Amino acid sequence: MQDAELNQTFYEGQTIHHPKSWLTKYVFSQDHKTVAIQYFSLSLLTGVVGVILSMVMRLQLGFPGLFDISPDTYYQSITMHGMIMVIYLLTAILLGGFGNFLIPLMLGARDMAFPFVNMMSVHFYALSVILLFASYLVPGGPTGAGWTLYPPQVLLPGTPGYDWGIVMMILSIAVFIIAFTMGGLNYVTTVLQSRARGMTLMRMPLVIWCIFLATVIGLLAFPALLVAGIMLLLDRLIGSSFFMPDIFQFGQHVTNVFGTEYEGGSPLLFQHLFWFFGHPEVYIVALPMFGIVSELISCHARKNIFGYKMMVWALIAITAVSFIVWAHHMFVAGMNPVLGFFFATTTLIIAIPTAIKVYNWVLTLWKADIHMTVPMYYAVGFIFTFIIGGLGGLFLGNVSVDVELSDTYFVVGHFHVVMGISPILALCGGVHHWFPLITGRTMNNFLGKIHFWGTFAGAYLIYIPMHYLGLGGVLRRYYDFKGLAYVSDSLHDMNVFITLASIVVGLIQFLFLFNIVWSYFKGKKVEKNPWKATTLEWQTTTMPPGHGNWPNKLPTVHRWPYDYSVPGASEDYIPQNVPLEAETEGGSSHE
Amino acid sequence: MAASIVFALFTIMVVFFNYYSIENQFWFPELASNWGDMDTATLMTLIISGVVFVVLSLFICYCLIRFRHRENSKAEYQIGNNKVEGWLIALTTIGVIALLAPGLMVYSQLINEPEDSLRIEAIGEQWTWSFRLPGADNTFGKTNPKHFGIKNSFGLDPDDKYAQDDILIQSSTLHLPVNQPIALSLRSKDVLHDFYVPQFRVKMDLVPGQLTNLWFEPNVEGEYEILCAEYCGLQHTYMRGLVVVESEEKYKQWLSEQIIFANTSLNLPPDADKQEIVSGEMLSIRLGCTACHSIDGSNGIGPSWKGVAGEERTLSNGEKVIADHYYLEESIVSPNSKVLQDYPPIMPSYGLSHEELDQIVEYIETLNETNE
Amino acid sequence: MNDLVKDWSSDVSTFKIRWSKAMMWIFLISDTFIFGTFLISYMAIRLTVVDSWPDTSQVFALHVGGTDVPLLLIAIMTFILISSSGTMAIAVNAANKKDKRKTGIFMLLTVLGGIAFVSMQAFEWTKLIVDEGIRPWGNDFGAQQFGSFFFMITGFHGLHVLIGVIYLSIVSKRVLAGRYDGIDDYQIVEVAGLYWHFVDLVWVFIFAFFYLW
Repeated sequence: MQDAELNQTFYEGQTIHHPKSWLTKYVFSQDHKTVAIQYFSLSLLTGVVGVILSMVMRLQLGFPGLFDISPDTYYQSITMHGMIMVIYLLTAILLGGFGNFLIPLMLGARDMAFPFVNMMSVHFYALSVILLFASYLVPGGPTGAGWTLYPPQVLLPGTPGYDWGIVMMILSIAVFIIAFTMGGLNYVTTVLQSRARGMTLMRMPLVIWCIFLATVIGLLAFPALLVAGIMLLLDRLIGSSFFMPDIFQFGQHVTNVFGTEYEGGSPLLFQHLFWFFGHPEVYIVALPMFGIVSELISCHARKNIFGYKMMVWALIAITAVSFIVWAHHMFVAGMNPVLGFFFATTTLIIAIPTAIKVYNWVLTLWKADIHMTVPMYYAVGFIFTFIIGGLGGLFLGNVSVDVELSDTYFVVGHFHVVMGISPILALCGGVHHWFPLITGRTMNNFLGKIHFWGTFAGAYLIYIPMHYLGLGGVLRRYYDFKGLAYVSDSLHDMNVFITLASIVVGLIQFLFLFNIVWSYFKGKKVEKNPWKATTLEWQTTTMPPGHGNWPNKLPTVHRWPYDYSVPGASEDYIPQNVPLEAETEGGSSHE
Repeated sequence: MAASIVFALFTIMVVFFNYYSIENQFWFPELASNWGDMDTATLMTLIISGVVFVVLSLFICYCLIRFRHRENSKAEYQIGNNKVEGWLIALTTIGVIALLAPGLMVYSQLINEPEDSLRIEAIGEQWTWSFRLPGADNTFGKTNPKHFGIKNSFGLDPDDKYAQDDILIQSSTLHLPVNQPIALSLRSKDVLHDFYVPQFRVKMDLVPGQLTNLWFEPNVEGEYEILCAEYCGLQHTYMRGLVVVESEEKYKQWLSEQIIFANTSLNLPPDADKQEIVSGEMLSIRLGCTACHSIDGSNGIGPSWKGVAGEERTLSNGEKVIADHYYLEESIVSPNSKVLQDYPPIMPSYGLSHEELDQIVEYIETLNETNE
Repeated sequence: MNDLVKDWSSDVSTFKIRWSKAMMWIFLISDTFIFGTFLISYMAIRLTVVDSWPDTSQVFALHVGGTDVPLLLIAIMTFILISSSGTMAIAVNAANKKDKRKTGIFMLLTVLGGIAFVSMQAFEWTKLIVDEGIRPWGNDFGAQQFGSFFFMITGFHGLHVLIGVIYLSIVSKRVLAGRYDGIDDYQIVEVAGLYWHFVDLVWVFIFAFFYLW
């Protein structure tokens, strides 16, 4: 106890130096809010490239041959699109962006526990993005082995970028993992050790719980990717055979860089390591968006989140189980078939806590006072798409159903609903909700609604048909579908339709970026706490909060984060830092 | 208000899309094997999850209308309800078990192949298929990746007595008898592949360095495409084969026409008259050339071999070139230095001996002559 | 159970320790997963590889006075590293008593142990590469993954030791220079100690799985 108090008082007593120069204020800033904005902008810019790459793919699939897209370009686009979206956009923006911005503010801390490490984190992230795009400059271009980077093809001719592209990719990922670890240590330490007085763990807003647990997952899952990457790199550079068996390709035995033959490695080992990271990665992305949506729904429906404790325990259950489901990505990969029973069972078990979360969001709407603000549109839209995505997971987790659906467009449709559209809705909702806190202005509602409906309709028009194509056995990662007897002509029409829809939806995303930029300069100025929210980040003395967040004393927390519509209270919300006595009748804060 | 109606419309649209997709064949391909149970399991999941989706979605839409903000409206302060929560958990658990149990039952059938299965081995390589049967002794000969060579494209151990009568099918077309369980062992020469026949439902990866297995019982006669379902490089899309399911008699007839390992050139005595070890034609099949280059003039991924030798062709940089013996050899050794117009520069380089190169190029040239 | 949850979720901080110490713990858990993944991969390959695994007592033998003594060098290395954990513990103990001189001296002893360990590892690598001809892509004793796994895992561990040596030398210099006298109670020594003990602990596992198996 003494140590912890020492921390707090030591820090509180310090006079904070506010940076003055442009460089220290915007580039080498250690303020968690600036770091968050750096993460936001960089990852959104990276995401723009990802969206453009997806259009390249869709143009080839919709109009094969018309745009002169070679198989090289097609497969490189697939790979880069997947990597960018999953790691460099979603992981970075949800943890680096929202995590950095919200954790200290919502917990009532002055900053992250280690601001310098935090700054280093975003710089390493920038470096990893530069390395990623630099792979377009090396001979052979970026790797085209799919985002899963499966050996042995990733290191063999016949796959684009097998010589230098893959090296750049692994280096970039390694740097990203370092960046993530630096950020992640900060988030976990801050959440565990530097909350405001009275902010017990069970009084933390759900979004903090979610980001915290997602970071824990990341810290334990990224090592597997790092190790797999190192071993793959060694196979490529010093001739080891971790993942490379004896291979006979194009009429010759394949040799490593030293001219001796590869021998005895296990390609399956890479798949296990990759998915031991890859599946928890889904939850690294999913949990923060659960959290954001929980906040949005509770605040804009003016009602406390249904079953807060149950939500927290469901999150913890998801975190724990997420580490023992990875091989459901490998039901047809050639592992020992008996494992299928185990992983199918664990996978469907994880559906239960996930379902609880959906029920509780829906039940929060029951007898609520729903304000259909733009953030609420996004949140409700998210629930719809997430229901679709979650139910799609029941197909793919159930082993014998997966056998006929794996590697088809059902899988593509499923993970784009879960990992594509749902995070876009959640994070755009989050940006709309917290934009006033960042800039002091609101985003344009009209543009917001257009973007919402465009994206939401896109989810249905693009990805629902994909699920059915998958039922029809249409395979993913195909360059075109010419000359296949079992696919009907209407497939080609459907592909054209999906392509057109996805280009429209892709372009609509630029509307969101435009909205951010426009609102930053021209948005309507608003007063403090425009949404009348209870959580601490809105209770700072100035909006946007200054460096150090709370100018004088750190706030003291007296109640849980969801005191909306408390009976007898004068307003329909009571902020977390209002003492219980101040609201006599409704003061019975839930614990 | 309007918003929730739109939300509800989207939900209804999804339901009706089922009819649209059945109409337009975005639906299970026609079943031609014993794995109808898989379709049943999938369909059951579709129905259960469909009901859950519609109920939850419409409930949300109802809430959005019923509890929308009006003047002086206020939300109810309700912390949670353990009883409701408990019921929901119980219901979900029952639903999950209802889906999982049949799924696992089908799976246990899937991984236990019947005793009387016909054993066949399928071999995948970039980007074509070949097959092997155990032959009269019903035992597969030993294989080892070290034995792979242009002359021994199955990697069989030449000294193994069980290997001698193995039937080698150096073609991507496989014939199967109808109504007979087939147990496939899968082996890859180079990278990951996946054996998939949509009408049979099952699929399984081919992993270099290990064997994988799957079984099915084709029960409708006909021709079905074999597809590669695991990304395996630039020509992944075009890695196709054919399964011909036919009557027992026809199958026997086909089988009797296939060669056994002992009769392949590798096992001929060294002093035999035929020093021409493998013909150019055989080489081109074994190397998988014909996966991209047709020999009948039809257009493939690469230019057809028919009528190419000696002709003038246009390169991608606009230059003209005569496809003489030298050019053809160069195109095999360093394929992407002079690529023909309208073809992508994607062919891998083949490391062949001088003799082998000669044989293939001579074969290409004969294609020309026979057609004149 | 309920009380446990209440204690853990209590006010301000969950664990009553410094931020830096908490961060080091969390980092070490993450690092455990890295080493764990390395070792599990190693075991998986070793159990599935077709070629026989080299006889470790033969490969790692040291030629002393005309006879091959198995595992001699590695026994000395392990002994040194474990002892350095001991000196580190003494340094932490002294730090808690704010004995600046003793802390500094014992930290420097630890650094010496670390340097000795890394040098002996360099010697071992040289011997294996130059004399025994072990390469990442093959060796004369058996399965070729032996060399690559050995160099990768011991190399990664050696890197940790090397980082620890640098880290400890900086801290010990600062301790002796009196940098932590005024503001703080030598907690940073304890944090550095955590890291060092972790590196030693990992070595025990590598030793057991590589040399004794």
